[in-house]
Order: sequence, then structure tokens, then C-alpha cells
Amino acid sequence: MKYILSVLVCFLLINNLKAQDRYLTKQGTISFFSHSPVEDIEAVNNQVLSIVDIETGDVAISVLMKSFMFEKSLMQEHFNENYVESDKFPKAKFKGKIVDFENLENKSKVSIQGDLTIHGITKEVKVDANIEIDNDNLVLNGVFTVLVADYQIKIPSVVKNNIAKTIEITFSLNHKKYN
Amino acid sequence: MKLTKRKKIGFTLLFIGVLIISLALSQYYKPHIDVYNTNPDIITNATDLLYEFENDEEVANKKFLDKIIQVNGQISKVEASENNDIILTLKNQKDGLGTVICNLSTKENKKLINLKEGQIVSVKGICTGYLMDVILVRCNVVNN
Repeated sequence: MKYILSVLVCFLLINNLKAQDRYLTKQGTISFFSHSPVEDIEAVNNQVLSIVDIETGDVAISVLMKSFMFEKSLMQEHFNENYVESDKFPKAKFKGKIVDFENLENKSKVSIQGDLTIHGITKEVKVDANIEIDNDNLVLNGVFTVLVADYQIKIPSVVKNNIAKTIEITFSLNHKKYN
Repeated sequence: MKLTKRKKIGFTLLFIGVLIISLALSQYYKPHIDVYNTNPDIITNATDLLYEFENDEEVANKKFLDKIIQVNGQISKVEASENNDIILTLKNQKDGLGTVICNLSTKENKKLINLKEGQIVSVKGICTGYLMDVILVRCNVVNN
């Protein structure tokens, strides 16, 4: 399994080298926000890896869970150890396609449909995003929500009121053309 | 006699209560680990660190994640992040696409003028994992 995976990754990387229509960022930003009557919780990740191929409409995004920075270290600890179990599931991933990806240069809004994997659980999602393409840049940004329960993330009843059931996720991915 | 016993119990409970609350509060407001003033758990160089992740990511994850790692390497890129912190990319000296990306903490911004491409540096930070590159956060430049 692992062998196949690494071959796949190599294949992807080699493909990337040849491609002309791929855009990449290693410094994308994804943040999430949980609002509850007790407290607001926010965390930011500035090391998001994202690749967009405008020829095929493919979008692939990878995120390290441990790269989410919280204001309070206790929140970060709970998030990693108890909720997303980042030792077991170090990454979140999205793999999908831009819906109707023809003439992207003339569009300002797109839908992206695909599989979102968090905490080892994969769900299909459809996300609206603003898109902006010029010669060397492709910017995608938007907001969507996920249900904590969908990804089998267990919140202990003691802190049930501190954490929202629906988490708002904001992304801002400023890709550069990748040659 | 009975009353004093009750009082004793009351005081003890009160004492325990205060202790628990202060412990809880100190936990809640516990600061993030101060990378700057903590000795590294592991000292290595960019090329070896990358090799370990490329070779077996699962084993490397167990060894490096959440650890404070001091990495020696050659700077291949100096950039600014969206919130204007410094991002250093350390080269893989062997063939390979991967690099070590070090996100410096805001405190380090004043060191920017001393950081140049090609320079050999030592960076200390917390390892959060491997995507195409090994990523370190809350970094500081050790001997510059």
C-alpha cells in the first residue's frame, strides 16, 4: 500500500514538473472558527499545500493538523490530542474538481466538488469559491462549514458547550504557476 | 467538637476547591512552549531530516512530530508570509524536490537583513510534519 502510494506521489511530482497549467502554493492559509456562548475558538494554518490544474480542473489540498496555531496552548493540545488525534491522523486532505472548469480566466466564482478527509473520515463536499487568475497567479478563497459529528470527532460532554457543532472554515490559497 | 470537625472538613474542601480552580486556570492560560529558551530534542541537518521523512514517513512522524528540532542547512529562499513573518527554505543537498520550510516567529523579524540565499544557518523549531516538504513552526535562527 505504502509502496503504491509513494509511486503515486512520485508520478504526481514528475507530472507536475512537465505541466504548464498547474498552479501551486505551499503557503496557503486555512483557518477555522468555532463560535459558542462560552468561548470563540480560532486557529490558523499558514502552511497549506495546494495544487490546481486548470487543464483538468483538478484540485488537491493537503494540510498538517499540527500546523494549526491556536491562541491558547491548551486549546491546541486538546485539538491535537483529543479531537482530531493528529498523531494518528496527521493530515487533512481534499481531492476534487472544479465544476465547469472551461474558461476559468473569465470566471470569478466556481464550485469545487470532491472528497474531504479529516480525522481519517472522508466525506463528499461541494464548496463555493472566488477565483482569480492572471498570468502567474491563481487565487482561490472562500468559506464553508463542516459538521464536527460528520468526521466522528468526539467532544466530551464537559466541554460540549465550549465547542460549536458546526465549524466555519476559511481558505485563502494564492497559487503561483508551477514549471 | 462536632462543629470544629465540620469546620475542618469545610476548610479542607475550600482549600481543595481553590487549588483545583487555580490549577484549572493556570492550565487554561498555560503559555505556548518557548522554543527560543528550550534546548532542542534533536539536532540534525536538512538533508538527513528530509531523507528520514522520504524514506519512511510514519517512522519519521513518530520520531520528529511535536519535537523541538534544530536543523542546519543552506538557505535556498527567504520569503515573507501573509502576516509578514519570515519563511526560510532550507535546501536538500542531495537530489530531490523536498525542502525544509521554516516558519519563523514574529520575534525573529529583525533578523531579516542578515538572512541571505546561500547562507548556512541553524534553525530551531517545532516539527509539524511532512507534505512535499518538512515543516517547522515557531522557529528561531540559532547562530546568525
